[in-house]
Amino acid sequence: MHASTANVEPVAASCGVAGHALVEARLADIPSLRDRPTPVGAGPLPARFLRHADEQTVVAMRAVLEAIASSRASGTPDADRDFSDYGVVSAPCQPGRIAAAHSLTMLRSGGPVTVSPHIVPQCSLHSIAGAVSVALGMHGANIGTSGGPDALSEGLLASLTLLAAGVGATSGIWFIATAWDIEPSLDADGTPIEKACEPQTCVAVAVALTAATATATTTGRLELLEAPGRSAAWQPRLVDSPADGIRRFARALSAIESHGEAAARWSHALPWPGEIRLSAAAAASRLREAA
Amino acid sequence: MIVAASTTEPIVITGVGAVSPLGNGFAAIADGLLAGRSGVRAIEPGGFSREGRHFAAPVAEIPPPPRSCGIDDDAFVKLGRLGQLCGSPVAHALADAGLRPAADRPRIGLVLGLGAEHLKTWELDFLSGGTQVFEPRCDDTLVHRLAGMLHLRGPAVTVAAACASSGYALALGRAWLHAGWVDACVAGGCDVLSPTGLAAFYNLRALSRRSDEPSRASRPFDRDRDGFVMGEGGACLVLERLSTARDRDARIYGELAGVGMSSDATHMVTPCSDPTQAARAIRMALEDAGVAPDQVDYVNAHAAGTPVGDVAEAGALRMALGPAVDAVPVSSTKSMSGHLVSGAAAFEAVACLAAIDRQAVPPTLNLDHPDPQCPLDHVPHAARDRRVDVTASNSFGFGGSNLCLVIRRVA
Repeated sequence: MHASTANVEPVAASCGVAGHALVEARLADIPSLRDRPTPVGAGPLPARFLRHADEQTVVAMRAVLEAIASSRASGTPDADRDFSDYGVVSAPCQPGRIAAAHSLTMLRSGGPVTVSPHIVPQCSLHSIAGAVSVALGMHGANIGTSGGPDALSEGLLASLTLLAAGVGATSGIWFIATAWDIEPSLDADGTPIEKACEPQTCVAVAVALTAATATATTTGRLELLEAPGRSAAWQPRLVDSPADGIRRFARALSAIESHGEAAARWSHALPWPGEIRLSAAAAASRLREAA
Repeated sequence: MIVAASTTEPIVITGVGAVSPLGNGFAAIADGLLAGRSGVRAIEPGGFSREGRHFAAPVAEIPPPPRSCGIDDDAFVKLGRLGQLCGSPVAHALADAGLRPAADRPRIGLVLGLGAEHLKTWELDFLSGGTQVFEPRCDDTLVHRLAGMLHLRGPAVTVAAACASSGYALALGRAWLHAGWVDACVAGGCDVLSPTGLAAFYNLRALSRRSDEPSRASRPFDRDRDGFVMGEGGACLVLERLSTARDRDARIYGELAGVGMSSDATHMVTPCSDPTQAARAIRMALEDAGVAPDQVDYVNAHAAGTPVGDVAEAGALRMALGPAVDAVPVSSTKSMSGHLVSGAAAFEAVACLAAIDRQAVPPTLNLDHPDPQCPLDHVPHAARDRRVDVTASNSFGFGGSNLCLVIRRVA
């Protein structure tokens, strides 16, 4: 987690949190997720939809579908809603490495005819967002963000921008962050080298964010705050690995869903004088009133 | 710090930095576009063409950043070609706007549209004998490195929406200014030619195969089009509020007056033949700008020269503009610049600024026989003089992304 800063105010933007899911998949388990990505309770995907998708896209898709299935299972008021007026913001960390290595080795050995036409649409920064948008029929904006170690905060900032500014006229956004916990090394052919002693786990969190901050379904509130006490110098402030950062964020989301105001807040200092904070919906509203 | 209140004040463009197949900087690019010059030429195949020859629209020379910006020569060289193609326009846009981040300490944000930074970085490294792609490590992104090198003190984000990436960057930068999170924002994007990219698009049958006459290969809206021509480069624009621009007597190129965005949600690759969502993005941008269809003086079309995409865009324009469409000149500057992919939307925003500055509509080259399925007021072969106050620019990309920007003259 990024170091939190004291005395951050006022709220520059906010949105509601209406559900989430965290999925972790080991490298060896991703082929089965690719073939059968849909959990019990989620709607079907087109056949072989993820056939050419990057590993981070496969796990991201599962996280979105699990969040939807979980919402249906718990019977939340709009659990059966469609997401046609939602947008998607994805925040992967260096997507497409395995396919890129394979493509480059093929280019070297077999020439251009062997380069897969899927490498660009399926392994680019926007590929997760595009796939989720197509799979769930979302007509709001779909964008990828970052691609680097600070993807979580860049993606959340982009989501808050779209929702707070009303850009794209979406009522909500599926925000998805993904990263590897020890990304597989690749051999000279671009094939992953599996190591039993390393987790080689792809981690994805999918969060339903809503423009409205207080509805029957919002459990949390995400806020962008000013941090006037901090130096104005632009600098990276990473403390966690990207995968651990995603896990901590997901744990905070779970705690807020389970314990509401009793849950600890999560905060994320940005590389510029600002901070993103997650708190229980009711608590956040009282804090604002007090301020 | 977040000190400015949110505002609906106009957001204007006060700096332009651009590297392109038609030249570098606003004046050279405007000259090239309005002269109807093609930047497409035969290039070294670099291992990607099965015929042993190919063509594209490369950048001939990347200008180094101004000495005052904080990026010295060594640091610029170490950025590599993709980093240079991005860093140069960012630094030149700031200099053009008269902003000195290190000295003046304003809150300047940075948003770059880069669709595949890591794929390109790994590939360029691999082709020069490197092994980065095989060795997992998590390097910081180019946008973060540039923000640090340029002493920027605002948010810095990479965004990607395929061929619409740099347009989304401009949309986010504008939103940050409206929200009061920054005093100014550099936004845009760039792309670099690469063998894998060319081979992948070639194998997808998206590229033109007219290799015997490169400068005639990019022919949007023409009956005989057979795909697009890849280019490289892009543009970065400095955005700021009208009041702050006027307070410091900055040159104002135009206003980024409206943004519309949507997704087709039909297919990851194939352009959507139903124009509904693309038309929605265009209408959204016009409404955001408070502009009626009959007030649009010029549309810079996405039109890359693909058989399906150009027809779909013509349908979207007819749906969005209604009866007014027949009186609105439409052209595709990709006929001259090639398709700059991540950098296309920002470069085409510069084309709109050029139309406003020169009071003329840039042409669509090679439009010898307009496709009857694309019934629009085309501007074939040569620029058309006319009053240009309001422009719209479309960008569409893989994953079903649709984006429209409205850019207009500031009185």
